Amino acid sequence: MKRSIAFTINGRSEAVTIDDADTLLEVLRDHFKLWSVRESCGVGACGSCTILLDGRPASSCFLLAARVAGREITTLEGLGEGDSLHYIQKAFLEQRAWQCAYCTPGFVLSIKALLDENANPSDEEIREYLSGNLCRCAGYADILRAAVVARDSARTLAGKR
Amino acid sequence: MLAKHGDEARPLGGGTTLVILMKQRAVHYPYLIDLQKIPGLDEIKKESDGVRIGALATHRSVELSPLIRQAIPVVAEAFSHIGNVRVRETASVGGNLAHADYRLDPPPPLLVLGAEVSAIGPKGARRIPLKNFFRGMYETALEPGEILVDVAIPHMPANSRAVYLRFSTLSANDWPCLGVAALMTKENGRCRELRLAVGGMAATPLLIDGLDFVKDQSVDDGLIEKVLTCLDAQISPSSDLRGSEWYKRRVAKVFVRRAIERLNGN
Repeated sequence: MKRSIAFTINGRSEAVTIDDADTLLEVLRDHFKLWSVRESCGVGACGSCTILLDGRPASSCFLLAARVAGREITTLEGLGEGDSLHYIQKAFLEQRAWQCAYCTPGFVLSIKALLDENANPSDEEIREYLSGNLCRCAGYADILRAAVVARDSARTLAGKR
Repeated sequence: MLAKHGDEARPLGGGTTLVILMKQRAVHYPYLIDLQKIPGLDEIKKESDGVRIGALATHRSVELSPLIRQAIPVVAEAFSHIGNVRVRETASVGGNLAHADYRLDPPPPLLVLGAEVSAIGPKGARRIPLKNFFRGMYETALEPGEILVDVAIPHMPANSRAVYLRFSTLSANDWPCLGVAALMTKENGRCRELRLAVGGMAATPLLIDGLDFVKDQSVDDGLIEKVLTCLDAQISPSSDLRGSEWYKRRVAKVFVRRAIERLNGN
C-alpha cells in the first residue's frame, strides 16, 4: 500500500510517498539521493547503512520507512556545518582512516552516537561499541585511531564550553 | 486483526528478524500489525514482586536500565552482548522471545530467575512460566491471535548471585555456540540452592532439573562433578556450524563449572 509520511532528515522537514514494503534505506537513497547510506550485508550486521534515528544508531536496511513517520533522521550528509567538516570527519581525514571508504559513513555516525551517549569512552568501550561496524579492507587500526582522536577532540571541545 | 487475517498477519515488534526474513523472501505476510503503536508496551517497571519488562522494550533499554542493572544485573549483562548496538537499539524483548530461535541469549538467565511472560489474545490474558513457553525450534506456547505483553522477573532470592556466560566460536557479534546461566544462593558458606539453564544447545533452552542435592553442601570439586553429571544426563546438544554435539557437550561442562566457581567466589 502507498502512504504519505513526513519526517525530518538532517534538520529539514520532508514529506514523501512510500510503499509499505520500502525500507528506510531505499527511501533515503532512491528518493533523497543520500548516497552515504549504503547497503552491504542487508541484515544489520555490517553497519554500512547506519543512520541516526532520534540520535540513536540504527540499521536503515531493516527499518520499514513507514515506521519512521514523525522521527528525526541524521545521515552523514547532516554532519558538519556548510563547508566545514564535523570533528569526527576531521579525525578520519587526519588519520587517513579509510581505504575504499564504503564503510566510513557508518563508522563516523556510530562514533557520533557513542560520543553523544558517553563523552569519554575508554579505548575498550570504543572497540566494543564499534564491533558491529565491519570494514572489509580491514582498516581497523586506522579507524580506531581516528575514533580515539575524535574522542580526544570531543574532550577538548567540552573543556572549552 | 490477528484473528481476522489469521496466517496472513503477523505482529511486528522491533522488526529486526521479521523484516529481514521478509526481505529475504523467507516468509511472506500481507499484513503486519505494528505493536509500536500500542502505548506503554515498552515500559520497564518496578513492581512489588520484581521487575516487569514490556514486550516492546528494546534490548538496549534493558541493557542500560538503572533499575535492571541494580536489581538483576545478569539480565542487563545478557542483553548487552546480543548482536550489535544497532540491533539492540531496534530489537524488542518480546519479539526476541516470541521468535524462539534456539540460540537466543536472554532465555537462560530469565529461566534461572523464574521469569513468566504474559500474553493476551481473543480468549483473554494469561501468564506462562518461561520454562513452559518454548515448545520447539521457532515454536512457542502462544496461541493464534495471542501476543506477548511483558516479561515478569521476580526478585532474586536473598543472598543469591547469578551469572550468564556466553561462548562464541565465530565473531563477537555472532549467535552464541552456547550460553550458560547459573544462580546460586549461599548460606553460612554453604550452597542453599543452585539453578542452571543452558541455551544454544538444542531446539529449546533448558532449565536443568534435579539439583536439590546441592542443598547445604559445601561447593567443592566433588559437588561440581555431581552437578556436571546431572547436566550431562539432561542435555542433548544438536550440532550446528558453531559446534558439534560432542564439542558442545564438553564446552557446556567447562562453562557450567566456570559459572559455579565464579558464583562461589573462587
